Amino acid sequence: MKLEHYKYPFHVILHPFDGFWDMKYEGKGKVRIALIIVAMMVLNVVLQRQFAGFLVNFNDPRLLNSLDDIQYTVLPFLLFCIANWAITTLMEGEGKFSEIVMATGYALLPLVLINLPLTYISRFMTMEETAFYYLFNALGVLWFLYLLFVGVMTVHQYTPFKTIMTLLLTVIAMGVVVFLGTLLFSMAVQMYYFVVDIYRELIFRM
Amino acid sequence: MKKWLILMTAAVIVAASLPLHAAAEAPYEAYTYNYYRDSVPLPEPFLPERAVSGEDLGLDAFKSPNDLFVDKNGDIYILDSGSSRIVVTDGNWKLKRVVDGFQQNGAPSSFANPGGIFVHDNGDMYIADTDNSRIVVLDGSGELKSMIENPQSDILPANFKFAPVKLTVDGAGRVFVVARGVYEGLMQFDETGVFMGYVGTISVTQTFSDKLWRRLATKAQRQTMQLFIPTEFSSVDIDHKGFVYATSVDPTSDTTIKRLNPSGQDVLKRFGYFPVRGDVRYRQFGNNAGPSRLTDIKVIGGGMYTALDSFRGRLFTYNDEGELLYAFGGKGTQLGVFNTPVAVEMAGDKLLVLDRGKNNVVVFKPTLFGSSVHKATTLRYDGNDTEAVAIWRDVLRMNSNYDIAYLGIGKSLLMEQRNKEAMEYFELGMQRKYYSIAFKRYRREVLQEHFGGIMTGALTLVLAFVAYRLTRKWRRRASKHEAGAL
Repeated sequence: MKLEHYKYPFHVILHPFDGFWDMKYEGKGKVRIALIIVAMMVLNVVLQRQFAGFLVNFNDPRLLNSLDDIQYTVLPFLLFCIANWAITTLMEGEGKFSEIVMATGYALLPLVLINLPLTYISRFMTMEETAFYYLFNALGVLWFLYLLFVGVMTVHQYTPFKTIMTLLLTVIAMGVVVFLGTLLFSMAVQMYYFVVDIYRELIFRM
Repeated sequence: MKKWLILMTAAVIVAASLPLHAAAEAPYEAYTYNYYRDSVPLPEPFLPERAVSGEDLGLDAFKSPNDLFVDKNGDIYILDSGSSRIVVTDGNWKLKRVVDGFQQNGAPSSFANPGGIFVHDNGDMYIADTDNSRIVVLDGSGELKSMIENPQSDILPANFKFAPVKLTVDGAGRVFVVARGVYEGLMQFDETGVFMGYVGTISVTQTFSDKLWRRLATKAQRQTMQLFIPTEFSSVDIDHKGFVYATSVDPTSDTTIKRLNPSGQDVLKRFGYFPVRGDVRYRQFGNNAGPSRLTDIKVIGGGMYTALDSFRGRLFTYNDEGELLYAFGGKGTQLGVFNTPVAVEMAGDKLLVLDRGKNNVVVFKPTLFGSSVHKATTLRYDGNDTEAVAIWRDVLRMNSNYDIAYLGIGKSLLMEQRNKEAMEYFELGMQRKYYSIAFKRYRREVLQEHFGGIMTGALTLVLAFVAYRLTRKWRRRASKHEAGAL
């Protein structure tokens, strides 16, 4: 990968319409970069939960677990991509799965860029200044949502209204996926124990 | 040498296998709530010493006693309601006298199921004679001094039945009475026994589901519904400043303990992590579920007060800021746990709890931990933070999970301008507000100290940046000239 691939996400977050268009049609995006951004996001979540200043950090240190943080960041990301892909395939979206992953990953960049320094700065804040912490946090989230919106719209070539509808449907689809996953898991466990029980029964009777 | 080593090892093993010399085991676990709403075990602040029954005093047994009082001389008054008598002992539980009636206009009169007793500093006994609908005031020798009955006022309904249950009296002789069936607050009488009005009305709270139900119900249904009336107070006490402490039993309220100023407003400080209402973590359904039922309160000095939860038989002591210092007690049959605790009192440094079910008084003596906490809290309350620090440090040695001790030390350090250390203690005590104050000061200190260095660094950076831009510009221009020349 060349240097321009690393620079490209910064172009995207500042010029989203241009950026996502070129990402789709000029092949300027890279899935690997998107995954690097997700990895940075994980790092950011771990650091923020552990090291944010005392005044803004309400986490119970006994419950902090970096493995959980990884799970709760990466799984929703994948879940969103899969659900969005499933929905947009049915709704005449033009995006490929790799493009959805790229758009979502690149959209996460502002969160990383804002929260990483913010975590450090929050350690030097007094109570009155923590308002800025929450302000910048909120700005990061809004920026992310805006980029996600533009990204999905460009990748699938949707109208704004249809984008909003698909995003809402995506959230519902995520719920459905989680529900089906849980159902499948519990059924698998039951089937497993069914086999185990039969095996035990046979062992005891023979 | 080898022999010596073996001997040493043997000695260590023997020493380790011996049971530690511990004080008498308590039948309960003391605890407090930490920042994360977990109940954290504490060393016992009080240990049961003995139980005093009627037989121990050379009398027949108590019969459902209702109240207990310790006057300023340390004499103990037990209101033995079932036997309609008042048992008075000195501080060492030696019987002094028994008051079982008085002379009224030459005729003997006695009590009928009295609910509460208060002894004024001048020796006057105030007895809430519940079933006789009167408050009897006897002087120190047991002679009738005055009587409060039949309160007259426009605000009282015509068929009002006066049933005083608990009472307290302030320095000026004003009487504050908890009366059964009175929802307007505490009844206040002046020193001549004239009804003055109500103080400290409890406001009614309606939950969202209540409102929803009422809206959905038909008119006929609504009429048969339970009325939303405020809860009654369950007990009163008074501190040396004349503030009345009152408890109420209201499962939906967060303010079951109130501190009423002379105009009847609730001025209790509630600066702790959680509401001042006894247990904050309890089961919602099933056995032993529901919030604490605070039925008695005692001001124990140094801004502290102890409330009695008759539901789970626990005692909760708070400091003047509304932070839970400790909670202990329980239900059971051993010494130190209760059947139906009804009253709590302080005699010297000992805590007395009257148990109506067991018909005795349980005496608790403070442990080193308990008395240290009391001492440090009192010192801090009186403004001697620096002296309190040494005791707080002792407390932390006994219990390093005690947030209030960290807070106490932190506040003192903050006053001595030792901001960095104060920050550490506030962080350990999970006190964000004070941490912020300490941090602000510390940050200012550091900035002032390194002002020169910081400014030099910033200036250097700016200069370096400007130089970089200039060189780049200059180089570009040079290359452009070259290109133009070609």
